[in-house]
Amino acid sequence: MTATVPAAVPSAADPVRPSAAPVARFRRARPDLLVCAPLLAVILLVQGWNITAFPALSDDEGTYLSQAWAVQQGQGLAHYTYWYDHPPLGWIQLALVTWVPSAIAPPSMAVGSMRCVMLLVTAVSAVLLFVLARRLGLPRWAAALGMALFGLSPLSVVLQREIFLDNIAVMWMLLAFVLAASPSRHLWHHFGAGVAAATAVLSKETMLVVLPALLVTMWRHSHRDTRKFAVTGAVTACVLIGLCYPLYALLKGELWPGPGHVSLTDGILFQMRRTGSGSIFSAHSGAHAVLNSWLYYDRVLPLGGLAAVVLLLLTAYWSGTGRAVFGPVLAAALLAAVAMRPTGYLPAMYVIQALPFLALSLAGLAVAGTGLAERVARRVRRVAAARLLRWSAVGALGALTAAVVVPNWYDGDRSVETIDANAAYRSAALWMATKAGDPARTRVLVDDALWLDLVHQGYRPGTGVIWFYKADLDPAVSKTMPHGYRDIDYVVATPTVRRDAVNLPTVRAALDHSETVAAFGSGDNRIEIRRVPKEADGHPRVPQSPNSSRKDG
Amino acid sequence: MLVSVFVTAVSLTLFWMAALTLWWQMHAWRTPETLAATRFDQPDGDAGCSFSLLVPARHEQAVLEHTVTRLLESSHGSFEILVIVGHDDPETTEVAEKVAAAAPYRVRVIVDTHEVKNKPKALNTALPQCRGEIVGVFDAEDQVHPELLAHVDHAFRSTGADVVQGGVQLINFHSSWYSLRNCLEYFFWFRSRLHLHALKGFIPLGGNTVFVRTAVLREAGGWDQQCLAEDCDLGVRLSSAGRRVVVAYDANMVTREETPGTLVSLLKQRTRWNQGFLQVYRKRDWTRLPTLGQRMLARYTLSTPFLQAFSGVVIPVNAAIAIFLDVPVGIAVVTFLPALTALVTFVFEVVGLHDFGKQYGLQVRLSHYAKLLVGGPFYQLLLAGAAIRAVWRESKGRSDWELTEHVGAHLTTREDVLQ
Repeated sequence: MTATVPAAVPSAADPVRPSAAPVARFRRARPDLLVCAPLLAVILLVQGWNITAFPALSDDEGTYLSQAWAVQQGQGLAHYTYWYDHPPLGWIQLALVTWVPSAIAPPSMAVGSMRCVMLLVTAVSAVLLFVLARRLGLPRWAAALGMALFGLSPLSVVLQREIFLDNIAVMWMLLAFVLAASPSRHLWHHFGAGVAAATAVLSKETMLVVLPALLVTMWRHSHRDTRKFAVTGAVTACVLIGLCYPLYALLKGELWPGPGHVSLTDGILFQMRRTGSGSIFSAHSGAHAVLNSWLYYDRVLPLGGLAAVVLLLLTAYWSGTGRAVFGPVLAAALLAAVAMRPTGYLPAMYVIQALPFLALSLAGLAVAGTGLAERVARRVRRVAAARLLRWSAVGALGALTAAVVVPNWYDGDRSVETIDANAAYRSAALWMATKAGDPARTRVLVDDALWLDLVHQGYRPGTGVIWFYKADLDPAVSKTMPHGYRDIDYVVATPTVRRDAVNLPTVRAALDHSETVAAFGSGDNRIEIRRVPKEADGHPRVPQSPNSSRKDG
Repeated sequence: MLVSVFVTAVSLTLFWMAALTLWWQMHAWRTPETLAATRFDQPDGDAGCSFSLLVPARHEQAVLEHTVTRLLESSHGSFEILVIVGHDDPETTEVAEKVAAAAPYRVRVIVDTHEVKNKPKALNTALPQCRGEIVGVFDAEDQVHPELLAHVDHAFRSTGADVVQGGVQLINFHSSWYSLRNCLEYFFWFRSRLHLHALKGFIPLGGNTVFVRTAVLREAGGWDQQCLAEDCDLGVRLSSAGRRVVVAYDANMVTREETPGTLVSLLKQRTRWNQGFLQVYRKRDWTRLPTLGQRMLARYTLSTPFLQAFSGVVIPVNAAIAIFLDVPVGIAVVTFLPALTALVTFVFEVVGLHDFGKQYGLQVRLSHYAKLLVGGPFYQLLLAGAAIRAVWRESKGRSDWELTEHVGAHLTTREDVLQ
């Protein structure tokens, strides 16, 4: 029996312990579980109900899931040439998670059905958010409030249902924050935070913006005596894991640009030089439209959260709560600052990364508010009066919140739970399965969201069923189309296809020289199946043998 | 395909080894509480135990007087010093007699008459003469802090331990590129890793600043005279017998030492230790440890020099395979895992050097950090060389004692550093 000298009293200098022992063992903390578990059930119910039918299938979801499918098929990181548009870790994870279901029932590997996976991601993120709030020292009700805001806001429900890399990255970043705020201030927890942060960044590169806030959180939650090891370890872990991505490119000889191959540098330059969507403050810009599309679903979380961020940042010097939640608040502020830059491209899913931090900021503000009420109440001598004051403050806050939030969210969530936005997609897929002829000999331009459905129907992936823009942008695909649009049999013209065709000559020609044989839905959202007439102008179509020129395996 | 499987297996093994070693190396800094627990408790002022301090000295006439004089400055009230000299070493004996005459009630001279001399024989010669309840061992060149005994006394009484191991620290990091690494090795070992061993119940003790209850030591039969790492062996035997070992490290109370003066003497010293570890491994006392975990730890720790040598050679080879042979990219990334771990270790070493400088009030310059990083691979080579040499010597049955000499030049050096 041996042991070290019994622990001396821990150093008196113990600057940061906003969260004391109570949350050290979340799993064993029964009251926390009792709050968190039912709330999680509600979130999953709201998010899961009608998940396949709303919102409309997005092109990006199709992209990522198709690439996950390619990973599962052992075709590398994508079934077309992987061109370093995003780091691949996001869809590699998707591939891992969907491996079993897609092995059991291959057709389930389609955007609609695989949205269920995102429920898992949301569940993990929501629980992590709760744990993080507790570790930052927020009371249980505030942690629950944050979790509810994060999981039940109509904006969250819509965006978290979709197979976006951002949702996966958010999960990892929340894990990083949870580890950074480890109550035991363990060296390897902080190291793990670095690993999780790197995973987040490699899932969606825009997470880079949040890293300084993570560092601040870690700094605040580490002890002076061990800080230099903990923080350096975390930074090292993050950098080293992050460098694996360029290392991968280097090993493939694709780090630097060169003739005849894609490169990481080109990929980064593409993202940096994407046509700007203008400032969110100018009424006619693309960015403003994106902002409006968020505010359409919810104003409480984005605008209320932003107000909370500003208030908490301004009062962080005086407010204990403000200091406790400073890290996440800073994360939200950084993300907001980047979104508000006058130029640059603002993706529609950008707000996803800010949602948990906005929710935490609102929860933090609520705690700060009741704390203020309590302090005022303490000045009142009579106990009964003080109690009355405090609870009426809490009650007023609750009532106000309910008045603002409930009608808004009820409407938003009701439409989310009932509207079927994807009927046209399903009909189009069904039509292609039954009426288009022999899938093995038919070539179709589709958008990414439908691509996997057609693959499962027997169309040849890559050159039989073609991501429409690849016909123009990927030399490996256009090479298989010597006669341009005439080598195409069908175009499934979804809104995305029609929108982007403006800049894609082959796709535009195919649309111009084809006729509608079936149409589903109406207005701008209609989906047309258009057939390109054969041998009308004396150019017999050259039959393509299957897999004739797949470039990248 | 076969290359891929091989490379993956080697990489994962190396990764696991490197990660485990790193995990243990960083033990003390896991949490603020762990770090606080590695320190000595503040003594309560009572002096309960009496000490017999053994100072074996062989051809150390240049440093012995200084060491004993400093030991005599100890604030503890109850201790005796036994200087052990060889019958064939008149110079050292003369110095020893001189200091004994100056403090007749404190210092005695014991003469070791063994034909072939080594440290365990010297210690065993003195053991029957010890009057104190606790035997402490120091080397002739050690600088011992006057408050150390009081702290050790308190540690014995407050924990009921059978053994207390104090910190030993090489200080002259600025002397050469390898002394820098050597100092840091000691830093991580005594500051951090040994505490983990104490916690797990298996500990190879250090060669000095180690204190054992006299009765326990006599019961264990003293030191193994045939073993080249008698200190490690004693620790292994005592922990296997279930004795309670306590480790404490305070920067201002460590015993300060010097690194070997030349690369060759460092190589010889390391060879001796490695060979000693190998001997201890083969004695199999550690198999009496009660739990499988402890036995695995013992197995791993005692064979560390050889694993280290192996990994030092294989990591670059593995990385070269990854870069120059045509393996799939996924496999290539796996081969970089051990290198990644090595990089993390490097970074922690840099931070460790910074902490070392802070703890000892030494100025660590940018050039030192550079030396630390550049010297890393070469030091690995040295360790590998020593390990291979040890295996070779052991297989040839050569187990003579290659002593590291202390000529006294270090004293001024050390004083410089301390100022």
